[in-house]
Amino acid sequence: MGQTIVFIKDTGLEGDRTKDFYAAFLNLLRENSLEEKAQVVRVADIGIYNQGLVVKFPEKDVTYVKVGEEDLKEVVAKTVKEGKVIDRLLFKEEPKQLRIVLRNCGEIDPENIDEYIAKDGYRALAKVLKDYKPADVIEELKKSGLRGRGGAGFPTWLKWKLTHETQDTQKYMICNADEGDPGAYMDRGVLEGDPHSVLEGLIIAGYTIGASQGYFYVRAEYPLAVERVEKALKQAYDYGFLGKNILGSNFSFDIDIRLGAGAFVCGEETALIASIEGRRGTPRPRPPYPSVKGLWDKPTAINNVETLANIAPIILKGGDWYSSIGTEKSKGTKVFALTGKVKNSGLVEVPMGITLREIVFDIGGGMLSDKGIKAIQTGGPSGGVIPKEYLDTPVDYENLQKLGSIMGSGGMIVMDEDDCMVDIAKFYLGFCVDESCGKCVPCRIGGYQMLSVLNKITESQGQIEDLDKLKRIALAMQKASLCALGQTAANPVISTIRYFEEEYRDHIVNKKCRSHKCKHLLNYNVIQDRCKRCRVCVINCPVNAISGDKEKGFFVDPKTCVRCGKCFEVCKFNAIAKE
Amino acid sequence: MIKAKINNIPVEVEKGVSILDAAKKAQIKIPTLCKHPDLPAGAGCGLCIVRIKGTPKMLRACSTPLEDGMEITTHDPEIVAVRRTVLELILSNHPNDCLQCGRNNNCELQTLVADFGIREESFQKFLPETEKDDSTRTIVLDPQKCIRCGRCVKVCQEMQNVWALSFLERGFCTRISPAGDIKLADSPCIRCGQCSNHCPTGAIVELDETAKVWELLQDQSKYCVVQIAPAVRVAIGEAFGYPIGTNLTRKLYALLRRLGFKAVFDTNFGADVTIMEEGSEFLQRFLHGTGPLPLITSCCPGWVDFMEKFHPDMIDHFSSCKSPHEIVGVLSKTYYAQKKNIDPKNIAVVSIMPCTAKKNEIIRCEEMYASGCQDVDVALTTRELARMIKQAGIDFVNLPDEDPDHMLGDYTGAGVIFGATGGVMEAALRTAYFLLNGKNMDKVELNQIRGLEGVKVAEIAINGKKIRVAVAHGLNHVEYVLNKVREAEKNNEEIPYHFIEVMACLGGCVGGGGQPYGVTDELRIKRASGIYQDDHDAKLRCSHENPFVQQLYKEFLGKPLGEKSEHLLHTHYQSRPVYVK
Amino acid sequence: MAKIKPADLDRIKAAHQDDGKDWIKVGMSTCGIAAGADKVYEAFVEEIKKRNLDIQIKKCGCQGMCYSEPSVEVRVKGMPDVIYGKVDKEGVMKILDKHVCGNALVKDAIYELRTKR
Repeated sequence: MGQTIVFIKDTGLEGDRTKDFYAAFLNLLRENSLEEKAQVVRVADIGIYNQGLVVKFPEKDVTYVKVGEEDLKEVVAKTVKEGKVIDRLLFKEEPKQLRIVLRNCGEIDPENIDEYIAKDGYRALAKVLKDYKPADVIEELKKSGLRGRGGAGFPTWLKWKLTHETQDTQKYMICNADEGDPGAYMDRGVLEGDPHSVLEGLIIAGYTIGASQGYFYVRAEYPLAVERVEKALKQAYDYGFLGKNILGSNFSFDIDIRLGAGAFVCGEETALIASIEGRRGTPRPRPPYPSVKGLWDKPTAINNVETLANIAPIILKGGDWYSSIGTEKSKGTKVFALTGKVKNSGLVEVPMGITLREIVFDIGGGMLSDKGIKAIQTGGPSGGVIPKEYLDTPVDYENLQKLGSIMGSGGMIVMDEDDCMVDIAKFYLGFCVDESCGKCVPCRIGGYQMLSVLNKITESQGQIEDLDKLKRIALAMQKASLCALGQTAANPVISTIRYFEEEYRDHIVNKKCRSHKCKHLLNYNVIQDRCKRCRVCVINCPVNAISGDKEKGFFVDPKTCVRCGKCFEVCKFNAIAKE
Repeated sequence: MIKAKINNIPVEVEKGVSILDAAKKAQIKIPTLCKHPDLPAGAGCGLCIVRIKGTPKMLRACSTPLEDGMEITTHDPEIVAVRRTVLELILSNHPNDCLQCGRNNNCELQTLVADFGIREESFQKFLPETEKDDSTRTIVLDPQKCIRCGRCVKVCQEMQNVWALSFLERGFCTRISPAGDIKLADSPCIRCGQCSNHCPTGAIVELDETAKVWELLQDQSKYCVVQIAPAVRVAIGEAFGYPIGTNLTRKLYALLRRLGFKAVFDTNFGADVTIMEEGSEFLQRFLHGTGPLPLITSCCPGWVDFMEKFHPDMIDHFSSCKSPHEIVGVLSKTYYAQKKNIDPKNIAVVSIMPCTAKKNEIIRCEEMYASGCQDVDVALTTRELARMIKQAGIDFVNLPDEDPDHMLGDYTGAGVIFGATGGVMEAALRTAYFLLNGKNMDKVELNQIRGLEGVKVAEIAINGKKIRVAVAHGLNHVEYVLNKVREAEKNNEEIPYHFIEVMACLGGCVGGGGQPYGVTDELRIKRASGIYQDDHDAKLRCSHENPFVQQLYKEFLGKPLGEKSEHLLHTHYQSRPVYVK
Repeated sequence: MAKIKPADLDRIKAAHQDDGKDWIKVGMSTCGIAAGADKVYEAFVEEIKKRNLDIQIKKCGCQGMCYSEPSVEVRVKGMPDVIYGKVDKEGVMKILDKHVCGNALVKDAIYELRTKR
């Protein structure tokens, strides 16, 4: 024993990429007869990117970056041999991620309430029931500056205050776990990893607004989340965190689960209420707001999963602590589901104000391929794309909105040069068209019309007037749709036109898709001087679109070609051009 | 009171009044296709958007209440442009067959498109492939013309509590249909036609049977007689520019003669007969316990259908007496035929009704054929009659006044008030009073059961006996009354009411599903006051005083509830499935 | 079950403090399970039983490193806590052979997670 463990990882950017540092390190140890003293482990990922060779001593919590060949000798000589720290090489950056919502995710067994309690779980509830009046909770939340994490960013304290102040004998508290943005799964992560943290927030919310009944509205497509929430509820009842006279107080609170049947619009609060009531899940006009007239016409507060998971830490550590994190108007942290063309896709939790670049490159590890980053999509189908020029924008509610996107619930999709912006707009709009409830004209017909225009454009039938048509319908949708789904459904189109109008024009005027995504705008051709006349493409073409002979060469008939790309795939000589 | 400014015009309204309604007070019309004064805001069409100072969004005027200090702009270039786009979007999903449409010239969509001066189609046309549903033979559903405003669904579910219509599917494919995508005739639909009356377009219209009537009138072998229902006379004028509620009874008589009818009768006469029968039925039960109380009126076919489907436990409470127009129908083919010596097979009876359900009533069971053939051949709605008048090229406004044909045409004030909610009850009580007391009431008007209150109750003392009555109209108000009866029965308590009148439509027949479009409470009241004025002006105001009714019993029927009356003037009810398999 | 009182929270917390025992934790959220975490978990259970090892096997939620699922966190006395990513059956064997029984970390399989809690 007495071995020092050393992690090493070449994180790229600087230094000689061809050099085998691992072997070099081992050699150095051998030369210094230190093989027994250190165990060098090449790791798959060290959580630091673009910092050259990274050497970490996990037991000492010492990390060196940009370690060069000469430095490595010094590391062996000083740190391995003598246990001294080399200041010059130290990596001093704080970790970019800060975990409040995800504090227990991956830490505890989500199905064991005791493990949650061991992490100070239900201590906030006990504190609230013992020492706090509802107004005190609201005051603490106000100090914290917490805003709704479902997307719109409405101040949580105000929502609770309004519901608290509405006089009624019956009130309801609802947890909205109907997460549905494509590519977003923050809430699923929390519900599956730490359901009690949400439950505790929900109970505190119920106490604060004066509700005696709560609902967990979980989408049925999350069976594991449902199962874990069910178990959590049972355990909470067993322990007396739910039911009559919770923890010996006068407060009684029950929670039921309601499953969403798969309609995206049921994440909208009034549609969600209709759905719980057993009616068709369509939004209704507000006012009256749910805080006045909600579930079964009773005052109701609805909060998103992530919002509720923030409550207990705020109670325990105080609103001032929470508001010390983040930017002026956006406090605390935000969980993002980082996906797309990024190396480390997954859930990240970051303090508000971090830049998009830090999220993608310092946490996400950069791009998946060597194709450059083109844009980041945030806010799901209600959001927009943010082009790479704005990567250094600090992330908060206001900034993203200024850029034509939104914070949304936390989807963040990284796109590279292979992604066609018209195609992306079409995808998101298509999602909203599918998910429109059909109640109001702008969303129901407007969305459909816009989609048909986009289809035209990507199928080489676009006309230049189509751009104005898109803008005109988008305005009507934004201004005249009833709920947020319709009001924001055009955002992906508008924001891609805003930043990538050239790409649209390319599709319309030049009938070209520079990302080669829109297959109707693609042409496959045989590059004659590379072609070896092997006829593999001819044999593999499913529609016999390639013809010719060995003398004249082979040609693709664009009228017959269905742009399946088979010839491109099978040609061993790269003699098929895709353009 | 709320004080605010709309387009810089100060307005003051009560708390809770929508911006849309408040704007009307400032002489500002905000367009809408989904909001109807009868119904809560659905916020579907997106046309009524307005700008409120301080909010970046545009809000819906129909569903946003006016608040103190608001500064609202209802019209500016951007708002109008957005409305125009929304209208064009609707058009892109609506067929262009206005000329052949049942709502041509009185379509709300057509009017708005004309107002906005939309001259071309900006967007690609996408029309769903749908089939018309005329299975009820009363109203025709044409989902292709539907703009999904949701009025019909709200009417059917919330106002009428029938739940025949609902939205199916979602998004662009959203459409109106009975749940389970079945035919309307197999659904709980009671044919009240309120959906057709509230539809802004031609997506739901009455089944047009005018051609059938033209054919009968052309047929030399047919002796065509016609009758008009009480509520028709005060509504038909709306199609010819008369002030709302103008009573045009005698012009209608002249008109119907000009159309070629050989005899012009009045359903009000049948109403007087109904009172003789139903009044007697009530007294029999009230005094001698020959049947359960309360007695419930049955002259509304929509209500009868509703009861048979949803409240069959009330069948024994129902008056077996037929509705007035069926009485006139059967008497035309028996009594009148005998007197005139015409083969009843050659008589054709046409009823002009404010109601679409009457089209179904005329074939609802075997008793509707008591004369040996179908007692009423065709039931037309007020709207169909208006079209016939125009087709016939008759200058209705300048027609002279005429009288009806005798025997089945003369009526009392009691007969005409059948057209308004509470009228049947009032007429019945007038006669019941006479039958119990031997003299008429001093004051025949029973104001406590008039008006638009959903449920009206009264207690009338007659000869030391107290009669408790209830009047309900608009089917969503019925449950309350019936449950009171059920509760009392269950708890063995004294019955809450002895006599109940129900009309399926709000306001009674004046607000019927076959009446001219644009019904509001204000309009219902005006139409009803036309009817009450007719009663007020009548020499005879009680059914038993009608000399022709007296003659009918003397010459033909014998006595109320006698054998012949039972055979010709009464019917039966049966439990019916809510959904036909 | 008896309802607990506020004071019981301390008792439960104390009872669940780190007892110095070794454990293996498998991320068992949808992302992990989709990548095969349930099979990895079963393999651990089976193998630990077979080898009669004194190590606890636990489940937990998603740590956020969805790209490296199934992920497994290992604590063995005298070694740093590490998370192994993209673990398959072979990986299970390697972890048990080397890390748990051999005091050696598995090369090229560790995924470090840099977060502040």
